[in-house]
Amino acid sequence: MKTKEYWNPYVAGVILGLVLLAAFLVAGNGLGATALPKRTLALATSQVAPEWTAQNTVLKSYVADGASPLRNWLVVEVMGVILGGFLGALSAGRLATKVEKGPNISVRGRLTYAMAGGVIMGFAASLARGCTSGQALSGGAGLGTGSWVFMLMVFGGGYAVAHLVRRQWT
Amino acid sequence: MTSALFPLEFASDDFRLLTGLFIGFGFGFVLERAGFGNARKLAAQFYLNDMTVFKVMFTAILVAMVGLYGLASLGFVDMAMMWVNPTFIPAQAVGGFLLGVGFIMSGLCPGTSVVSMVSGRIDGWVTFVGIFLGIALFTFTVDWVPGLQALYLAGSGEVSLLHEVFGIPALVLALIMVAGAVLAFVGAEKVEAVFQAKTKPVELTPPNRPRLKLAMGGSLAALAIVTLTAGSPGPSTGPVAMTSMAPLVLAEKLIEREPGILILDLRSDPDSERGIPGAVRLGDSEARAEYLRRTPEGTLVVTFDESGRFTEGPAGWPEGLDYRFLAGGWDGWAEDVLTPASAWGNSLAERDRVQRQNQISAFFSGAAVQNFSVAAPPPMMPAGGSGKKPKAGGC
Repeated sequence: MKTKEYWNPYVAGVILGLVLLAAFLVAGNGLGATALPKRTLALATSQVAPEWTAQNTVLKSYVADGASPLRNWLVVEVMGVILGGFLGALSAGRLATKVEKGPNISVRGRLTYAMAGGVIMGFAASLARGCTSGQALSGGAGLGTGSWVFMLMVFGGGYAVAHLVRRQWT
Repeated sequence: MTSALFPLEFASDDFRLLTGLFIGFGFGFVLERAGFGNARKLAAQFYLNDMTVFKVMFTAILVAMVGLYGLASLGFVDMAMMWVNPTFIPAQAVGGFLLGVGFIMSGLCPGTSVVSMVSGRIDGWVTFVGIFLGIALFTFTVDWVPGLQALYLAGSGEVSLLHEVFGIPALVLALIMVAGAVLAFVGAEKVEAVFQAKTKPVELTPPNRPRLKLAMGGSLAALAIVTLTAGSPGPSTGPVAMTSMAPLVLAEKLIEREPGILILDLRSDPDSERGIPGAVRLGDSEARAEYLRRTPEGTLVVTFDESGRFTEGPAGWPEGLDYRFLAGGWDGWAEDVLTPASAWGNSLAERDRVQRQNQISAFFSGAAVQNFSVAAPPPMMPAGGSGKKPKAGGC
């Protein structure tokens, strides 16, 4: 199957904006991504150490109401992202087991960077109470002041170190 | 309840949850088709030879922003019911910077790592596992690494909205942003052209179509202008225009003892026992107009009736005052302010909001603030707004 071209960025942006608007209209909040891993962690720790979980600054709100931490709109929404991303890649002929990297870095080097970046992002998204989806995209559309600060800082952080890690991509 | 249609209220929680699956599906599908499952394409944003991230993200933000605030100004959306991220500047600034650093190392952000992962990319899987470990790292260290919890909790934690910070209507700000974005998009295309000469962009990027871009920007701006003129105050020769104020916003102002607020009780039933603390009730429309003429310029005048039908000031009211009607009227106040929150929430911030809601409802439900003045003839209201405050100290 021939691989489909990516959508025009402005068309993709309009459609993404409408999806985001639909989330607000239907559910009263925007989109997110880190809710799934965060709440999975809350579920795990609440099984192992319920008292510690109930005291933890981050996790306590997820277990406060007694229901499963995974019983949450954003968690279901991320499950939808898994399905949508999979079918999107499948129908575009882009489903492939491979590593995306530039020509001048080993697979091992690339995956080391991916792991390190992931850990930093997980830490950062917890600290900021949201990631590029929950803070920048959703909070940005809602005109949240802190979300705009977050968004500008994301670009700032990316451009600040881009030169140092360029070997990965070029 | 207010008369706004959105956000939807669901008969069952299960059905509400199910909508997340469909909306998430759309989110994941669009991210994939935009090329956001590919770490190289995302990383290219930071090397300036492919600005797709910027274009998609800002177009999406502006479409949703204009849609949301446009529908709100037309009365279809109740912004008071919308969850907007509360502001914790230090944590958001530091977290944002770190996330940007992680982004360029992974080439993916949390949402796109999910899409990359399910597209079969091994770097996507590794990034996602890293994100999980990073979340665990923060969660396990937040309570004992010195300063981390303080950083996490620093800031107001209030919902601060950018247009309120700038003191302009949301749609005006959205319009300015659309104009700025159109310029930025034109600039992005130029920057791309320069840097693509040095580094080849990621394959499968569709050809550049400037006309499409202009049409998009134009229609977005047109939409903003239309809703802006439809939903915001115009020059008032006839009835004075009013915009809505959410009950919780008014409640916060009263608790903060913000000066320069006049609350007008317009309910027709004079025997209503309960009211908003400090609200002024006058006999007829002539007395109200007279009272308003003696009110200092710039005073925030909040009116309320039984259910929020009163949304337009009569012709006799003077200009120079900032007129608002309470969204949902007395019913809205009773529901939003006097009723404790039902606890459902996505996050710590949501929990904080629920807690705040409960504080507010306890404050205004207290017997001490239930007696309110019936002013006749009304005393001159000083700009300081004394006499418009709740009598009991709360919170």
